[in-house]
Amino acid sequence: MSEGSFRRVRSIAKKEVVEFTRDWRTIIAIIVIPLLMFPLLFILFPVLLESEAAELDALELSIVIQTDGLPENLADNISTSGMNYTIESLPDTTYLSEPGQDLERVRNSSTDAILRFESNDDIWGYAILHLSTSERSNEARNRILNVLNEWENSEIKERIEQGGLDVNETLDPLRWDGEISAGDVATTGEQSGMILSLFIPLVLAIWTYSSAIQPSIDMTAGERERGTLEALLCLPCTRMELLFGKWLAVATITGVGVLLQIFGLLFAIGYLASSSFIGVPQLSIASILLIVLAIMLFAIMVVAFELALAMRSHSVKEAGSILAPALMLILFPALFTQVINLDGIEGFWFAIPVVNILLALRELLMNRVITEHVIIWAVSSIVYASLAAYYASKQFSREDIVTSLS
Amino acid sequence: MAKSLLSIREVTKNFAEVEALQDISLEIYSGEIVGLVGSNGAGKTTLLRLMAGVYKPSSGTVVLSNGEPVVNMRHELGVVPESTGLYSRLTAWENIRYHSRMHGVKDSIAWARTEKFAQHLDMKDNLGRHTKGFSRGMKQKTALLRALAHGPNILLLDEPTAGLDITSARTVRALVRQLRDEGGTVIYSTHQLAEAQQVCDRIVIIHNGEIRADGSPQQLLDDTETESLEDAYVSLTMDQARTRKEDNARESAFTGWWRRLFTPKTPPSSQEVMESE
Repeated sequence: MSEGSFRRVRSIAKKEVVEFTRDWRTIIAIIVIPLLMFPLLFILFPVLLESEAAELDALELSIVIQTDGLPENLADNISTSGMNYTIESLPDTTYLSEPGQDLERVRNSSTDAILRFESNDDIWGYAILHLSTSERSNEARNRILNVLNEWENSEIKERIEQGGLDVNETLDPLRWDGEISAGDVATTGEQSGMILSLFIPLVLAIWTYSSAIQPSIDMTAGERERGTLEALLCLPCTRMELLFGKWLAVATITGVGVLLQIFGLLFAIGYLASSSFIGVPQLSIASILLIVLAIMLFAIMVVAFELALAMRSHSVKEAGSILAPALMLILFPALFTQVINLDGIEGFWFAIPVVNILLALRELLMNRVITEHVIIWAVSSIVYASLAAYYASKQFSREDIVTSLS
Repeated sequence: MAKSLLSIREVTKNFAEVEALQDISLEIYSGEIVGLVGSNGAGKTTLLRLMAGVYKPSSGTVVLSNGEPVVNMRHELGVVPESTGLYSRLTAWENIRYHSRMHGVKDSIAWARTEKFAQHLDMKDNLGRHTKGFSRGMKQKTALLRALAHGPNILLLDEPTAGLDITSARTVRALVRQLRDEGGTVIYSTHQLAEAQQVCDRIVIIHNGEIRADGSPQQLLDDTETESLEDAYVSLTMDQARTRKEDNARESAFTGWWRRLFTPKTPPSSQEVMESE
């Protein structure tokens, strides 16, 4: 590339970035949302869940116990679990779980749940009638189950002791000796890489594609629609320089968005978990360099593909209606890649578009540099990126791109 | 005799089955204002885009005086397209500077030229403003400043006064004449004969993709033995203008088979509309 050509590409890219980022909505889309999305999801969402759970815990529930005789300690436990109860006699049903005449009582929330409890020699039978679509009723069912579990455990212990056996030896004859985590020979860094490999490729793929949609459309179909492209095509720059400049701008904007999102993700995970859960992944220099190469090849391919699709559209609306559904081309392979087992994986997986880069990232984040795989994904990705760039150059060379709707 | 700056030789431009321009030959000389006059769809914009190197001729050549195809010498040209093509989130000066940089001109030189012409166009105070709030006239003037900032030899203007108020149109026309007086060459596309007569040294009448006449306003009157340019124009373009069907065909060459598949071939008649209801 000559000096003049480089200068023009730089001018195009700079102007595109400046113009694009002057819109406050863009700043929100490329900086604020990527940065805050995961922290909000991972931190605020659990806080909301906790507050909801606390609200449920504070509820005073009313239940009905239908029984032919309730053990005293069980009744005490129910009372201390935030449930007021009334005792009734057992209904005449074949099985305790048949609602019978009590169906409407539970459905219309006259009571939050009904516990049926029947003694049969040394065995007790029970059933809980509840309305699964009601939060109160579900909560009542859960509290009853907890109380019954506790009571059952104490019953089991009592019976074991009555039989002259040791409770611990009888119930827990097989025990782990020492710290469970000490048995994992993977280092903390490797474990971190493993965890990150489940998030980062997916985030990278989806966010690279989706955050490139808006700038791609704005810089191609948008220019065409606003009538600014004709003036640009009259300038002494080649269509390839134009494409490269715009590609550089979209890649820069997308890159910033992806980096911020990954930063937000790591912050959220780090905040949630202890430092031993997620630390700095242990990566070799080769792994880091190959990760950068993989991301670059993926970005070249995706951005060129989106620019091409957007450029062949006559309007922003048309481009949007093509690029948004095309996200499925990334989403499905990205989700699919998450469930592929990397141990003993066949080489051909690393030649499938999109899948190849995502698998490569997973491997590399786990610090696995397998030469055969690297060659396959690097070569195939270069081919796909070249094809996407060629397709984009064909679209940018079309004469009709000068025609505008304005 | 003035030297030829731009030569259009036997140029034909086809869009699929439609010939937008047929065997056009034209010489543009230094220091003249050449008016391209024709009705809508006559081929004026197509010819201007060929001169600007945006379109490639289907046959023939568009070359500058040194024999180089115009597409390789775009820095010699300053173009104001009909849509002005300004970026609304950039200021007027940023728009101008962007194009100047693409032409390889230093900011200081572009600024000096811009300042000079902005004074004439009463735009100096608006150079730092975003063009989003500009009126049509201000946009047109900014586009003109942008086209002049790198010091082009030839200025291509596509309907530069379309949609302008009287004062703005006068200012633009005055600047064009001033540029000519300073030795500049201007190609001025318009469909208003009165404007062409007022501004242009030479008028090229285009009709249905052909050049029907080429000469000074007086020459056109003499050749057609008429007393007004309007009469001259009518006598030169007696045949019916291209139909909408041809325009559609030209358009459809760009829009792909799938679009045509879903486009009705003919609009339904009122009878058909009533029946369908």
